[in-house]
Amino acid sequence: MKTWILIFGLIYAGLLIFASLKSYKKGRSVEDFMLAGSSIGMLLGVLTYAAALFSTFTFLGMPDFFRRHGVGAWIFLAVSDGAMVFFILWFGYHIRTRVRQLGFRGVAGLISNCYGNKWAGYIIFLTAFIFLIPYVGIQIQGISIFMGAAFPGFIPSWGWSVGIVIVMLVYSEIGGLKAIVYSDAIQGVLLLTVLWIIGYNCLSAFGGLEAMFDQVEMDNVALLSTPGPEGLFSAQFFIASMIAIVMIPVTQPQLTTRLVVMKSMKSMHLMAVAVGAFAILVITPTIFIGMYGASFLKDSLGEYPVAQQANAFFEEVFLYRQPNAIAALALVGLIAAGLSTTNAQIFALGSELRGLLKMEEKMVMRITKIGIFIFALIALLFSELIKDQIAMLARVSFAGTALMGPMILLGILSRRKVSTFIIYASLLGLIVFLLSLTGIIPQNYFGIRLDLILFAALATAAYISYQMSPHSTQTN
Amino acid sequence: MKDKKLKQWRILRLIALGLCLLTFTPVVIPKGVFTPELFGIPYSLWTSFLITVALVWLTYLGTKVHRTDEEEEVRP
Repeated sequence: MKTWILIFGLIYAGLLIFASLKSYKKGRSVEDFMLAGSSIGMLLGVLTYAAALFSTFTFLGMPDFFRRHGVGAWIFLAVSDGAMVFFILWFGYHIRTRVRQLGFRGVAGLISNCYGNKWAGYIIFLTAFIFLIPYVGIQIQGISIFMGAAFPGFIPSWGWSVGIVIVMLVYSEIGGLKAIVYSDAIQGVLLLTVLWIIGYNCLSAFGGLEAMFDQVEMDNVALLSTPGPEGLFSAQFFIASMIAIVMIPVTQPQLTTRLVVMKSMKSMHLMAVAVGAFAILVITPTIFIGMYGASFLKDSLGEYPVAQQANAFFEEVFLYRQPNAIAALALVGLIAAGLSTTNAQIFALGSELRGLLKMEEKMVMRITKIGIFIFALIALLFSELIKDQIAMLARVSFAGTALMGPMILLGILSRRKVSTFIIYASLLGLIVFLLSLTGIIPQNYFGIRLDLILFAALATAAYISYQMSPHSTQTN
Repeated sequence: MKDKKLKQWRILRLIALGLCLLTFTPVVIPKGVFTPELFGIPYSLWTSFLITVALVWLTYLGTKVHRTDEEEEVRP
């Protein structure tokens, strides 16, 4: 397998080098570096948006979600993604219109300008930092675990993590956002290919679709319906997840940026449709992989403590039970997925930081680059500390950033100078959510999830803020 | 023409919202029930799969009626 890893690894590295050199332009402007000249066409747009959205979380998290919680995982991600792409049509139009009026230096900077209040930007940046860094950290950790399994005893796990972060930093430093977009495109194609090959192998092991569900019915019938064996998939869970996922283009800066840098509104519209189709294509094989784990690996995984089952499942299904060439391709695909997503998120944090700085552009750029370096270091540190389920951590990340949705939407939609009430309400919402995550306060009240309550409260606060604002012109 | 498109866009929004709400009801997620199956696929999976395809299709239709850059630029 090592030979295959070397072959695919070299091809992937070659493509990355080619892409970064193609993106490098002497004397490029800050806009070129941070926003890829705002000229991304439909095809690149689809792949970069999809790659930033479908990361290691889809590669590793979704098969594990299907394995543990059953078919409801489709509703959790695919139906929510369907709603999200529809929402992009509406939101994309409004944010692009606003960007034409105010310019774009990251979501935090844009919203600061919309409200005429720097605290709005600070809170958005803080939220992105709090929820993106652990997510990036766990992706780095996921890759290092896999590399450790493929090359046992070669270097310690943290060595792989450091290597990944160095590649990421060098790559984004040379090529900027355009290089990241190209690497996303490579990853998007690789992700789809690998998941379908492994998914097909898993489905073949059952002997077809019908045989697969018959087998699962015998092994664990609760996987075939909601709420699933552990009772996770309640209607409330789905509603809260859908809100969190629909808010992704609003509140996850790496994805908002991708809507803004599309060449035209038409390209962005077509991109939304294609991302929806991509979501269906990429999530479908994860059903087969998850069901394979639930049936064929049921007994062997049962020997591990629950916390270690996910990693054992990944190694077994992606590496040990595949032909060498496929396992090697899966490994390179995983590296690509992790690298492009972490790159996109760390770069987006840098971009958000840039939007908050008001000084000479050369100095802003220098501080932004130092910021990107520091964010990567913190994510690296987290990768050694976090031990959690990747899909659940991703969901918490989406839910946490979604809390900023009402404030961002109001800032973008309103043509009035909006009351600052929503800004402080959002900060309070963030603090309450963090307290619930740390277990200081409960996560349910009167049988309702706290994230749902908070979102409803902040949406109401946004409405009140709007009503408290002096009238000038009409909103959309 | 513009009014007609706006009306169509509103209808699409209503259908999309309706489909999303339907997903959270026992019509799509009956507790502990996996029949009737379609080609062996459990009930909640095939119904939610169809809803996902419908949402993507609605998005496509939305691109035909939603405002674009060009229209925005000619507005006063």
